[in-house]
Amino acid sequence: MELGTFGAILRFAIQLEELAVAFYEAAARGRLEEPFRMLRQGCGRRLQRLERARREGVAEMILESIRGLDSNDYGVALDPKADEAALQRQAVALEEMMGRFYRDAAAKMPIPEISRLFRQLAEENEKRKAEIAKADDSNR
Amino acid sequence: MSYGTLKNYIGGEWLASPSKELLDVHNPATGQVIAQVPLSTVQEVNGAVAAAKVAFQEWRETPPMVRARHMFRLKALLEEHFEDLARTIVQEHGKIIDEARGEVRRAIENVEVAAGVPSLMMGYNAEDIAAGIDETAILQPVGVFCCIAPFNFPAMVPFWFMPYAIACGNTYIVKPSEVCPVSQNRLFALLDEADLPPGVVNLVNGAKGTVDALLTHPDVAGVSFVGSTPVARYIYATATAHGKRAQCQAGAKNCLVVMPDAVLERTIPNILTSAFGTAGQRCLAGSLVLAVGGAYEPLRKQLVEAASRIKVGDGLDETVQMGPVASRRALERILGYVEQGLREGAELVLDGREVRVEGYAGGYFIGPTIFDRVRPEMIIAREEIFGPVLGIIAVADFDEAVAVIESIPYGNAASLFTTSGKWAREFGYRVHCGNIGINIGIAAPIATFPFAGMRSSFFGDLHGQGRDAIQFFTDRKVVITRWF
Repeated sequence: MELGTFGAILRFAIQLEELAVAFYEAAARGRLEEPFRMLRQGCGRRLQRLERARREGVAEMILESIRGLDSNDYGVALDPKADEAALQRQAVALEEMMGRFYRDAAAKMPIPEISRLFRQLAEENEKRKAEIAKADDSNR
Repeated sequence: MSYGTLKNYIGGEWLASPSKELLDVHNPATGQVIAQVPLSTVQEVNGAVAAAKVAFQEWRETPPMVRARHMFRLKALLEEHFEDLARTIVQEHGKIIDEARGEVRRAIENVEVAAGVPSLMMGYNAEDIAAGIDETAILQPVGVFCCIAPFNFPAMVPFWFMPYAIACGNTYIVKPSEVCPVSQNRLFALLDEADLPPGVVNLVNGAKGTVDALLTHPDVAGVSFVGSTPVARYIYATATAHGKRAQCQAGAKNCLVVMPDAVLERTIPNILTSAFGTAGQRCLAGSLVLAVGGAYEPLRKQLVEAASRIKVGDGLDETVQMGPVASRRALERILGYVEQGLREGAELVLDGREVRVEGYAGGYFIGPTIFDRVRPEMIIAREEIFGPVLGIIAVADFDEAVAVIESIPYGNAASLFTTSGKWAREFGYRVHCGNIGINIGIAAPIATFPFAGMRSSFFGDLHGQGRDAIQFFTDRKVVITRWF
């Protein structure tokens, strides 16, 4: 689906975070239990920030379409029943995909506060990726 | 979704109206009936005024800090029910969900500002105005006020007034638009939860008979109105003839002037938002573009291209950029103006009448519509269309643009797009409009600033919002003291 409005972009961002919450909840086990719990909690805070942005960032509506963002470009295969190594790879892919979406959306969003928020979320995704990798290191 | 037959909220109770006169409330995207609104009787108005009058004495004695806490509770409730309120606005008005969220946000901002009443209502004093004599100026609440609300911002507009009125210690009655009364009904459910004493806020549904009963009631101290110029003029005349304070915000015909040095890629989205946001049903909507000199050719081409890409549909679909207009009557009036423009010889370069929204055959849709070669004397250049219809007038220079603006009887807003500080200053200095935008398409004051137009766009003196609201809802009294 083309993401051509402020509302559509924010809604998709919220859906991504909800997807991440569901994945980290369903996949938290073994050595990944604690890191995934932390990541899920982080998503909760990110969701709050996005919801606040949706409510407060609409002071100036821009009617001209935001072009070049499509939700179909941001997919990732997730299987919470996979083994731990696969779960770890999926988590990295999920964080990478979310970071890519936020970077792309930040570049196109005409509202500076929201653009800034998306850049911050993308930076967080990089840190979250590092946390996932650390879980691997600590168990070797 | 059906909201049933709406009730009145009087003296802290929800009361079914005994009136036999009911109007259907439609979802403009589908044409389906979503509620019925009663045209309340004079007796019900009298009941609301009596409840507000009884509540006034104790409420005015309630310390401002305590009244402010009610504002904080109301703010929390509005945040909690934010999305639900926004969706209700879309269902009754048709605007897109982002615009509805913006409307709720603006309503909340007024509650936030009104929560500052302990400071805002402070007076001032001077010692020794004469030997041994001191003078103190105090602000006191006045009594019962009312708001007669429009359909275009059905949730927000009463909040330009009511939070300030009650925070200052007055009591209040809202008469919502009979076209879009549902969101006020939802908001009053939250006001009820905010635990205000019975009678401090009251809701009376209705139409002209209800309004007349409020305007002539001896116990109503003042009225705030937003709507069309003929009705504003009537309300101002009637209210003031009956000894009331009145602030009546009226119609508009807002011009957007584009200078040859304007940054077009930033200007175009601003013009689109101004002209077609909320389907052109804002009192701050730009409805005429005055293209100065060399700005005309590139502006016309890019504007038509960009406007033709706007997606029209049901406002609850977040991919949609423009919803329907609020009522079938509004649609027919707008279509009439399009016919008028054609008869007058304007060139229809983008015809919104051709828009069809699949699956919404009963909706009141018209797409972005642009007339070129509009002349200032045409009716479509002088009358408020209140729909997504934009006219382009080519003018030779800045002075001619200002002359066109000044020839229009309305003075709500005007915007200039330029990179020249000199022209920007000239514009703000010379143009007689209440809200001036410089590279801003919708010059909407935030809650801490006053909001009203000039000329035929406003009748009264004190504006809505901010410090003006505090003055409108208070009396200034001086106490001069000497102790023997």
